[in-house]
Amino acid sequence: MAESHDDNPALFEDDDNRAVYIFAPAGHGGSPQQEKARPVKRRKFTSKRASSSSAAAAAEVVREGEAEMERAQTTTAAAAAFPPLFGGKESVEAAALRRQVFDTAWPVLDGRIKNVLREANRTTLEDVSSFIRDAEGDTTRGTRIPAGFIITGPNIASQDLLFEQLSEALGKATQARFVRLRAAGVPNLKAALKKVIRDATAQVSSDGGGGGDGDEDAKVTFGRDGRKYLDYDLEGLHAFLSSQQDPLKRVIVAFEDSEAFESSLLTDLLALFHSWQGRIQFSVLFGIATSVELFQARLLKSTARQLFGAKFDVVQADLVLDNVFKSAIAGTQATLRLGPALLRNLLDRQRDQVAGIRVFISSIKYAYMCHFYANPLSVLLADEKSLTRQLLQPEHLQAVRTLDSFKAHVEAAVDARQLNHAQSLVEDDGYLVKQMVEQRQKKQDYLMQLLRSLHLLTSMDLVPSRFTDLYVSALAGGLDLTPTIDAIKRLGADDVPALINRLLAAIQTGNPDLDLPGWEDEAEDLISSLTEIRDEIEALAEQAREKGQQSLKSKFTAQSKILRTTVVAQKVQLSQDTAKLTEEDKAFGKTIDSLVDLLTHHIYSEPIDSLFLHQAWAYDAEAPYRDVFVPRPGTTFERALTRPHGYLGCECCSKTTGTLSATLPTTCILYQLYLETGSLVNVADLWSAYYALVGEDSDVGLGEREALVRFYRGLAELRLMGFVKQSRKKADHVAKVKWLL
Amino acid sequence: MPPRRKSTDQHELVERPSRKRPLPADDPYEIPDEDDAIPSAKRQRRQSQDGGTPSKGNATPRKQADFLHSDLASVPEEPESLTEQTPSKKRLGRPPKALIGGTPRGKPSTPSALRNSLVDDTPLKLRGLNGVDTPSRRGIADRSARRKSARALIDRVLEGAVSDDEDEEQQIAREIYESSEEEEDEENTQQQENLADEEADLAATTPSKTGRGRGGGRRRGRGGRPPGSATARRKKSPTPPRDLPPHEQYFYQNKPGSNKTSNNTLSSLDLLTHEEYFSLLRDEPGLQKDPHEEQIQTLQSHHIASFPQWAFELSQGFSVCLYGYGSKRRLLHQFAEYLSSSFSSSSSEEQNNKIIIINGHHRTLTIREILTTIALAVGGPTFRLPSGNPLAMIQNLFSLLSSSSSSSSPTPPSGSPKITLLFSSLDSPLSPTLRKPATQSLLAHLSSHPLISLACTVDTPDFPLLWDSSLRSSFNFAFHDCTTFAPFSGPVGPVGSETKTDEMDVISEVHELLGRMGKRAGGKEGVAFVLRSLPENARKLFGLIVGEVLVAFEEGGGSAGEFGGGESPGVEYRMLYNKAVEEFICSSEMAFRTLLKEFHDHQIITSHKDSIGTEYLSLPFRKEELESILEELMS
Repeated sequence: MAESHDDNPALFEDDDNRAVYIFAPAGHGGSPQQEKARPVKRRKFTSKRASSSSAAAAAEVVREGEAEMERAQTTTAAAAAFPPLFGGKESVEAAALRRQVFDTAWPVLDGRIKNVLREANRTTLEDVSSFIRDAEGDTTRGTRIPAGFIITGPNIASQDLLFEQLSEALGKATQARFVRLRAAGVPNLKAALKKVIRDATAQVSSDGGGGGDGDEDAKVTFGRDGRKYLDYDLEGLHAFLSSQQDPLKRVIVAFEDSEAFESSLLTDLLALFHSWQGRIQFSVLFGIATSVELFQARLLKSTARQLFGAKFDVVQADLVLDNVFKSAIAGTQATLRLGPALLRNLLDRQRDQVAGIRVFISSIKYAYMCHFYANPLSVLLADEKSLTRQLLQPEHLQAVRTLDSFKAHVEAAVDARQLNHAQSLVEDDGYLVKQMVEQRQKKQDYLMQLLRSLHLLTSMDLVPSRFTDLYVSALAGGLDLTPTIDAIKRLGADDVPALINRLLAAIQTGNPDLDLPGWEDEAEDLISSLTEIRDEIEALAEQAREKGQQSLKSKFTAQSKILRTTVVAQKVQLSQDTAKLTEEDKAFGKTIDSLVDLLTHHIYSEPIDSLFLHQAWAYDAEAPYRDVFVPRPGTTFERALTRPHGYLGCECCSKTTGTLSATLPTTCILYQLYLETGSLVNVADLWSAYYALVGEDSDVGLGEREALVRFYRGLAELRLMGFVKQSRKKADHVAKVKWLL
Repeated sequence: MPPRRKSTDQHELVERPSRKRPLPADDPYEIPDEDDAIPSAKRQRRQSQDGGTPSKGNATPRKQADFLHSDLASVPEEPESLTEQTPSKKRLGRPPKALIGGTPRGKPSTPSALRNSLVDDTPLKLRGLNGVDTPSRRGIADRSARRKSARALIDRVLEGAVSDDEDEEQQIAREIYESSEEEEDEENTQQQENLADEEADLAATTPSKTGRGRGGGRRRGRGGRPPGSATARRKKSPTPPRDLPPHEQYFYQNKPGSNKTSNNTLSSLDLLTHEEYFSLLRDEPGLQKDPHEEQIQTLQSHHIASFPQWAFELSQGFSVCLYGYGSKRRLLHQFAEYLSSSFSSSSSEEQNNKIIIINGHHRTLTIREILTTIALAVGGPTFRLPSGNPLAMIQNLFSLLSSSSSSSSPTPPSGSPKITLLFSSLDSPLSPTLRKPATQSLLAHLSSHPLISLACTVDTPDFPLLWDSSLRSSFNFAFHDCTTFAPFSGPVGPVGSETKTDEMDVISEVHELLGRMGKRAGGKEGVAFVLRSLPENARKLFGLIVGEVLVAFEEGGGSAGEFGGGESPGVEYRMLYNKAVEEFICSSEMAFRTLLKEFHDHQIITSHKDSIGTEYLSLPFRKEELESILEELMS
């Protein structure tokens, strides 16, 4: 390639010939022209984005000034403001405040999520470390290698986190060197040993503080007494560990995806570790996706005999997901509410595509980013101190008035004959601002009500359903109590007091996962009613027992209906009889009724989109999430190549949907032709087909050489995109590689 | 193809469809019926087709395909699958069945036939391939088939009562009876005709097409249509079926034998050279400007509008991945400028925010190079990253990053060095190493460091396959559709202008694709240039190789097509070495290798190993070029 470039030195700057280089901006050092050029560009595009074109011109002026201010501000403030919205009319303060809210909101959640993740694996980590520690003193072990079998389940994305934590925790707890092996990284014994030795020796140099002296450490490793060791010689590792004055000489080797390792490699490695056991304390960990039995079946018996194993279970990804969900999405700490549609989408993806928990967290973060970046009303989430009246521009109010929820709110007010209220909302800015401020409290109330209801519902533990599902459906369409009520009605007299006790306890303690404190003070009447009902039922049960009745029945319980079978004149008659209910039974039924009434009164929730101004604090757009995390490159390429005018929006190609036309970009033409070919493409024929289309006889009328240049380019681009590759089957043929985009 | 030939062939095919097979081809119960019928059938077929010349090659693969076909269909009376290969198998296979009702004759032979057929399988093929057999046995088989059919027909008539399925059987028997007559006729005409080899070749390919096309027709025509009207349904559409779903299309196009491409080559076309390409680019007004230039600019501007968003994503620990058709390199450059301008708001930040641009299209790009450049950016020009294994280098780099963030700056949070990697074409299929899992996992490891952020572009549509879920979560990608339509090798603008985007060497790419690597080293002029700078011995050795290759050309029949893409045939390494020693070009293998390495470095020689490990050297030039090179060397 170099030779060819030499022919045309003018075409290439130095930069382009280098594969890697440090970017030096063209305008660096103060070429004013460049400095100027950039804002112009940006201005142009902001105006393009602006919804109203008439405002664009004004926006440009505003923005020019703001850009300067923004720059001035960023020198003082660490965090840069978001680009202003409202077509550039948003004030810098408002934009900065949005950024500030984001910067404070996310780290809180991030901390909580990290905490959850740490907690989730804590018991496993502790168990493993104590096993590794104790195995040394265990006399039954003999010379066998301590081996921890960690059942991780099939989700390899979550394994990563686990092993990271393991390496941290074990490094601390046992002063061991931790080496992680993945099957893809170590194809053979030599590579595995190299990696073990390298990682075991490297860790100290980075842990030891000074990064600069890592180099010297490496020298010590292999040549302190003048001897050099091959980099796959465990002797070298031994010498290194001795030189580190490490009395324990512990090395832990973790096989992350042990199923993917060849069993012969495992056998060799384990045999080697075993033979070095006296000098270096090897321990091994296996991440197992299936079961220990299957894993053992892959090992030789002699190898299995060298292991001293213990099995550890890991909290399954589902449970971790639930916990993260509770703390980060549902919890009171979450500033932003994610809407039901997005949540459903996220959860489905977790379930269907076995995406790791990290992807889930990233998705939540991305939703936050989108909301604060692109929604000017997100500024309303700022605390009262920083959200001043001056900050709210006319545009903010205008934006509020265009919201669906505003319309619904006003219409509801009109229906309720609160005409003054409705009119003020529409006309009086001051009134609207007041209402907006009031909404903050309403939002808090709504969330509290929602979470408490959910908490009570789950603590009743009557209907088996996941918290995540309950939460999402509550957001989408309000809480559905029917299954729970049915379950309550079927409860016996002994179970109801227990249920009420659970509810009382739930009110008292709240839910730490959701960060929901107990609310005894606020729920006095609920508590007293509940206790009343409990006492009543207990009294009734007592009465019934005195009367010799076995148990209380209510009209709802299944046993109260008796199916009678009578044989009359060789015919079977079925009749249903309501068993006789005693006085106590009837009273019990009434009490249950009142309990149900009480609960339905207290446990309820409305759909999230029924709230006025929910757009400011709820985010429910699926599209950005889908585009950003689940790309569909095949469709994108297909669309670009078959219908280029969809992107280009040009006149010339707009009529050609899926058909050939000479005006299409060359690559698109070639792609169309490519679709028609078989698995082997004759380039000569491809060329003649192409030339027939664009050549001298056609509308475009390209000369042969010019067409050939284009053809070359198109073909090279097809190759670059991986559509064709070289074929040796026939002269001037290429092989087709892609069928399914 | 001469019309005469075709008509006979088709005729044959018209008849055969109605011959029925009761079971799928590989059904064991079939076997008893076929004992000695198949060989004869095969033989006859061969002879009838190509007039005695053995035409193999398409027999075996097609047979497999047909087996597959019949398996898939799994309709018990799917008849068309084997019709071609074993025409008279059917002829024989059917009558006994028709007879079962009447005479028990078919049965006694079963056990022995079973034994026979298993043994028979291989030789049968051989005979078919060789096409040599005595005609007498075939004749006997044919006659017996006909006799049986005749008997079946007679039985039918005598019995009188005709049930539905029996009707079909009868029809088949009749067909067999008739068709064998025709085949005899056909044979006669053939003997008279003496077809040329070439025509026979073509004929051999024809039935595979028509046969397949007939499959559908057969099914349609099952409702007891008379065999004579078969012409209508046999008609095969000349174009392949359109609107197949992609996977179906894959199987359709990869069917053995379906790869029919013309033998046209580009030899009549004067291929572009680098010089011509660039001079055309510079001079042709039509190439100066893309017809869609304006739209491309608009598209670009839309992407530029999202720069702040990408910068925000980068700052939040996401990696940005831009995909879509078109060169995204220019966009990435502009993004780099945007980033550096946003960094430059405070002078201390600018010093610590380094942007590193990586061009994935460079074939020579290594992960090591990336790492050393990052180290250079962080540690300054005096710092040298100890070279070694890339993973160890990354470890060292990370410790360097953490140490410089903690010590060198007075205010840690803002003063910590931030590295932004702008990687164009992370998935470049041109780079030999980039798509390897090891490289990708190293990059993922690199990008997962909090102080390093990565924005990359990808060019292939299948890039998500590069990463498994764990790699992807450590990359933490945010994907953006960035279809730019910008050409990968742009029009030549004025020197130093922003518009030039040359991501690849178009000419080399295409020539490599076509297997005309010779163009890469600049053709024969390039070779001459290289050789001039080499010592005398090297020149002599190259002359020797060229001579040997030319000899091999002569021996190999001289047709370039046999050596894939016009490349020269290989010369055995050992033989070449011996000759070189004889001519005192070198005295040891070491010296020989050294000389060859020079050629390899300039890509004027290629080597490959065949299946048993013998090394072959070949020259990436066409015969004419080699001749002129040799002339030049000798002069």
